[in-house]
Amino acid sequence: MSVETHAHHEDPDVVGSRNRLGVILILVADVAFALSMVFVYFYLRGQNVNDMWLPAATEERGAIEPLSSGPAWTVTAIAAFGLLAHLYALKGGREKNQTQLKLGSLVAMVASVVALVMQFNTIANAPFTFSDGAYVSCFYLFTIMNFVHLALTVFISLGNWNRARLGLYVSNLWMVDIVRIWWIWMVVSSLLGAFSLSYP
Amino acid sequence: MTTLMSKPVSAPGKSVIERLNIVTAVVLGAVSAFVVWRLALQFLPADTEVRLFTREDKITLLSMVAWFIGFMTGIGALVGPFRWVMGKDLSHDENMFLAGKDMGVNRYFRYTTDHKVVGIQYLVITMVIFGIGGILAMLIRTNLGTPEGGWIHPQAYNSIVGTHGIIMIVGTIIMVTGPFGNFIMPIMIGARDMAFPRLNALSFWLIVAAAIPLIWAQFIGGISTGWSAYNPLAGQAPLGMNGYIMFICIFAISTMVAGANITTTIVRMRANGMTWNRTPIFIYGTMASVALALPAFPVFFLSQVMSAMDRALDTSFYNTAGGGSGWLYENLFWIMGHPEVYVILIPAVAALMEMAPVFTRRPLFSFNVAVMGIAGISGLSVLVWAHHMYISGWAPLLNAPFMLTTELISIPTGMLFLVLVGTLWRGRLWMTMPTMSIFALLWNFMIGGITGIYLSDVPADAFLHGSMYVTAHFHYTLMGAGLTGALAALVYWFPKMTGRMFDKKLSWISFWLVQIGFNVAFIGMFTVGLAGQPRRVESYASTFNTGNLITTIGAYTIMVGMLVLLHGVISSWRSGDKAPMNPWQAKTLEWTVPNPIPLENFDVLPTVTSDAYGYGKAKS
Repeated sequence: MSVETHAHHEDPDVVGSRNRLGVILILVADVAFALSMVFVYFYLRGQNVNDMWLPAATEERGAIEPLSSGPAWTVTAIAAFGLLAHLYALKGGREKNQTQLKLGSLVAMVASVVALVMQFNTIANAPFTFSDGAYVSCFYLFTIMNFVHLALTVFISLGNWNRARLGLYVSNLWMVDIVRIWWIWMVVSSLLGAFSLSYP
Repeated sequence: MTTLMSKPVSAPGKSVIERLNIVTAVVLGAVSAFVVWRLALQFLPADTEVRLFTREDKITLLSMVAWFIGFMTGIGALVGPFRWVMGKDLSHDENMFLAGKDMGVNRYFRYTTDHKVVGIQYLVITMVIFGIGGILAMLIRTNLGTPEGGWIHPQAYNSIVGTHGIIMIVGTIIMVTGPFGNFIMPIMIGARDMAFPRLNALSFWLIVAAAIPLIWAQFIGGISTGWSAYNPLAGQAPLGMNGYIMFICIFAISTMVAGANITTTIVRMRANGMTWNRTPIFIYGTMASVALALPAFPVFFLSQVMSAMDRALDTSFYNTAGGGSGWLYENLFWIMGHPEVYVILIPAVAALMEMAPVFTRRPLFSFNVAVMGIAGISGLSVLVWAHHMYISGWAPLLNAPFMLTTELISIPTGMLFLVLVGTLWRGRLWMTMPTMSIFALLWNFMIGGITGIYLSDVPADAFLHGSMYVTAHFHYTLMGAGLTGALAALVYWFPKMTGRMFDKKLSWISFWLVQIGFNVAFIGMFTVGLAGQPRRVESYASTFNTGNLITTIGAYTIMVGMLVLLHGVISSWRSGDKAPMNPWQAKTLEWTVPNPIPLENFDVLPTVTSDAYGYGKAKS
């Protein structure tokens, strides 16, 4: 008794509206999660307990220097490009232009993969270890969580492109519209992380 | 059997969906956990610095994550998402198969999407949770029966207290919105199912998946921190703490999914004509509960993610030596922890408000005040968390504002009392167990509420904090009010859920045993708390002996009452009197569908023309 079961009873717009609300509500939970992370970052930064937000140099190791937030902004920019590509696809779908829908979905999917790889590189090449103070802990928290978000985005955008390719969006576009909501949140959450990391 | 057997459906032959069930889930979960455990043992490098448990924590957490992924794959939770990606949506027949059509008892052991099946699954798992939590409670009370304790090893005692706490919290969170929110709510609003049936199944099976790490934890050091798992204590606790972390993370996902699903169902799928003014008050209570949980549990989830990172990766979120803060954990925990009290209470009280008009044959007294009360409690509950931290030393300047917000909650809570008392006032009472439960709730919740005012008061809390008084207080709210409402809901909706009437005599015996035992147990606990006995102790000074002995006797009385109730559930379900369609002559929609309920509830979706509380009116 899923959506499809009821398809013969219900208008696709009604089903789409219901699904849209469901996704928005799930995103409410994700927003709470992301805002809590921002709270954690600025709380620990503000407290600077034992001067260990960015530990000073010791005999064993040098001082911990914050990383440039450049890579975080780059990942955000790529995600924003992915969102634009998805909006381009959605526009094509609304204008009954299947080629534009497929192309935009494909570009959005590729953008999500590129952003995922870049995010992985940022994590893998960070010049410190997990135990190097509170800033480093927060850095890893933000980057790992953004990586998880991007991995989900790859999964969703892959499905979206595949379904566009198979012509499953010819009759209605509510799923593409819901993927748009996810893309917007993906960009905003990535932006929140980049913004936070810009204040080491 | 809750759904109607009708013509057979051509189930997909030997498809993946057909093969998956709880057996494949457990096997795949166990194999995944074992394989990852062996690989981690083999390949994870030894710790480079002296740090207790870090490598072992990694191995334990990885194995638990593998269990989780394996179990959810094995039960079929990933079939839908992967089919979506592949562009091969589930067919009508496959959806009917997932809905459990014509599958008999087997549907309860599969990823079944029918909301009635999920409701029964929730009911059973809630009873199992209360059974385990209750046994742990009896172990605690038996050990505290004498001052010197000693019956249980102190470390085991700590773990029993922690496990009892968290398992009962989870049990009480799901005890109303799980069984009745899933089974009854969609029918009550005139819908054919939940908005997202597969997410509905997901929310249930996530809880089953979460249970194993908690059980696992008992064999690798237990949960020695109490249910709140404060850091840095949790960071230094044995490996069992990882089980707690996994349990909470998975449960939080379940809560988020259920919250989105239930809220969407209520907002988007109410019957034609069911305006907000005609929506039953139980629906408001259910929606307030899950909507509160929606933003609250992700915060708890994050707190546990960071706890896991501190343990397994040696980060410094809560470790002050590395720049972290224990207060950070306390804030995150209680930002979830206090709304969670109302996540538990509101639907239970709303269920009793739903029953009050039925058993007094009067309209609900001031429906609008009831809605405002629920909204007021929900709104204020997110602004009170730091009253749990007065004595911790965090932000003393904020004590006064938090005292104010906490005490303000008395006002909307009083509104709910007003609605219940107003409905009972001069009503012609039909004396059933649910009716008596309304009186019991008023009594217990009054004590729980008034004792809570003292705890919200900073000077009084300085004396009472950390004592058995606190333990008695929250049992009066969560158990005295919350569980009382849930048990009444069970008896009230039992005929619709099972097609059988609940044994009246057993319901009465159970009610009195539980209520008398409860008040004896926890008034005894108040006395020792006021006298200064700290909570969570394994032994105590002999001066507290009498109060503790009384509490233990009360606890055993509760146990007998709960066993009578369990007997009532089993015997009534198996061989109780067959229930008529509407045994209480109630006016909400769930009583308009026949027993057993058809798979899609309604042949024709109903149209609502009035509210559900038109008792005593000429035309209603």
